[in-house]
Amino acid sequence: MRKGSQIARRKFLTTAAKSVGLGAVGFPHIIPSDVLSAPGRMGANDRIYIGHIGMGGRARGLWRELKGLRDAGAATSVAICDVDRRALDRTNKDSVAPGAQVYHDYRALLERKDIDAVVIGTPDHWHGVQFVHAAESGKHIYCEKPACCTIEESRAMVAAAEKAGVVSQIGSKGRSQPEAYLMHRYLANGVIGRVHHVECFHYPSPVDDSGTPDSDPPPELDWDLWLGPLRWRPYNERYCPGRFRWMMESGGGQIRDRGAHVMSCALWWMGADGTGPVTVKATGTPPDQGVWDAAVLMEVTYTFKNPDWKMTWTQMPEEDLPAAEERTPDELNDEITPIKRPGYGAIYHGEPGTCMHWGGDGGTWAERKVRQWQPPAGAKEVYRSPGHFEDWYECIRSGRKPIMDIRAGAGVANLCILGNLSYLLGRELKWDQEKQEIVGDEQARRLMTRPQRHPYHL
Amino acid sequence: MKEAQIEQLIAGIKSQEPEQRTVAWRSAGSVGAPAIQPLASLAAERNHEVGRAANRAIWQIVRSAGTPGQEEGKSEVIGALKALLTGETPVSLQRDIIWMLSEIACADCVADDLSALLQSPELREDARCALERIPGQSSLNALREALQTVPEDFKMNIVQSLRAKGEEVPGYPCRKLALAERAG
Repeated sequence: MRKGSQIARRKFLTTAAKSVGLGAVGFPHIIPSDVLSAPGRMGANDRIYIGHIGMGGRARGLWRELKGLRDAGAATSVAICDVDRRALDRTNKDSVAPGAQVYHDYRALLERKDIDAVVIGTPDHWHGVQFVHAAESGKHIYCEKPACCTIEESRAMVAAAEKAGVVSQIGSKGRSQPEAYLMHRYLANGVIGRVHHVECFHYPSPVDDSGTPDSDPPPELDWDLWLGPLRWRPYNERYCPGRFRWMMESGGGQIRDRGAHVMSCALWWMGADGTGPVTVKATGTPPDQGVWDAAVLMEVTYTFKNPDWKMTWTQMPEEDLPAAEERTPDELNDEITPIKRPGYGAIYHGEPGTCMHWGGDGGTWAERKVRQWQPPAGAKEVYRSPGHFEDWYECIRSGRKPIMDIRAGAGVANLCILGNLSYLLGRELKWDQEKQEIVGDEQARRLMTRPQRHPYHL
Repeated sequence: MKEAQIEQLIAGIKSQEPEQRTVAWRSAGSVGAPAIQPLASLAAERNHEVGRAANRAIWQIVRSAGTPGQEEGKSEVIGALKALLTGETPVSLQRDIIWMLSEIACADCVADDLSALLQSPELREDARCALERIPGQSSLNALREALQTVPEDFKMNIVQSLRAKGEEVPGYPCRKLALAERAG
């Protein structure tokens, strides 16, 4: 975790704690939260008890990012879960989760009434089902991005969260970064005029050139439970861990893995949450070999109407990427850091100006003129997130809508899904945002759903 | 003309050059249904990359056949796919074929074929999913009838699909959150 984020979170927790009359390290301790709370509502002690579903690489990152809340006594991680014994063993070896009860099956974790909230850090193909089940169990939810793999899942997740009244946050945490706030404020104040094109760029998805054949799964891995809702197929070590990202069914390539960050920032800054494109057209280049099938190179155009603007997503060769800004030492501080991820971001084309950012996930870097812009008197202010987990926590306490709740998360995931569907089908798709459905293409409409293997269903 | 196209396609799929295989499978949509049987023969090729390219070529044909307004070509593709649902086709390819049909086949033209597969221990779950995805009365009826005929251990799977289609099915409490369940 970046130092700047830790500092920002500590500041937030101090402020948040004072606002409810509690010291930053003085949250009352060990009152089982279900004694004083109801599903969807915090108990009097304001400490949330959390279960972690998934403990692989990214999930352990989520664990670390929750440290600020744990250290402040606002959260206690009481349970961890994974279908791969090796992930749990690594967790134990690193003393990542001392005292947490260990589960193999997330459904056992959901049965615990003392758990207020879950952090879902499993492969993408599990997000929809586990999110819905967690909501139905009355748990608040932090779910890693992208929110889901199908349009049907996105609808079900929104419905389940709203019906249960739980607070959800999708992990497109670029929205909560310090420089994301600066970009948002700059654009919202019209410094570059009306934005008519958001040009997202990213380096290619990888190619599997290992020639690895299918095999028996390792004994530590419950392959059936890893697949979950996906249709059954033999194990191949190029599926997991982590490599699911490059499979269309379970990940979807860079457009989903990072599109869920960069396009999330775009919808937030454009004030376009809750809107959607009217058409989506994608072309791309598939990998020449290997089990991974996500597009290596890709060009997607999303056309929005009323107001009219377009967003493009381009996975391009590394040598074609726009150059990253050089930052001088005197510019750097706790929040302004060197650009560590120059390979993705977006250019905002306005009338008449442009501006640019790099990254868009845990690191978001705005170009110099954005960072140096001083708002004039009367300038429009925008929301400044205290940190992605901290925003979620504060919303659980207050009932306010999180910066990336499931409605927003589903909207971004839908963009990623539609881009991949258009690429797979090789044709433009028409999207009805109001009805949340593809129109005029029966095959594409069927692909809005993916029937799930019993019993792993929504 | 079509034979020459098929010959060229198959030669490309069998190429030892990855780029040529990719060019070949991406062009398969324009060749269409007549290429499906020869491609299926290659899908079980010992060279995994050749088999994978053949499989992707069939998918490409299916994705092309589903283009709005291509009804005639689609019927031929569906027919060629159905012809592969026999014991002579490897199970792994039959699974793919079932999912291909779920994207483009109408209920009336595949419900019987998929219903028969609900009795196959190896293919029944994929067939059940396909019937769930395919809209229409015939697929719904096939699932309703299957509830009376499939083995006890598969009935909940059928119930899952019926409920996904909006049916109320009393007497089978949902077990999606029950522990120790495993896929059939």
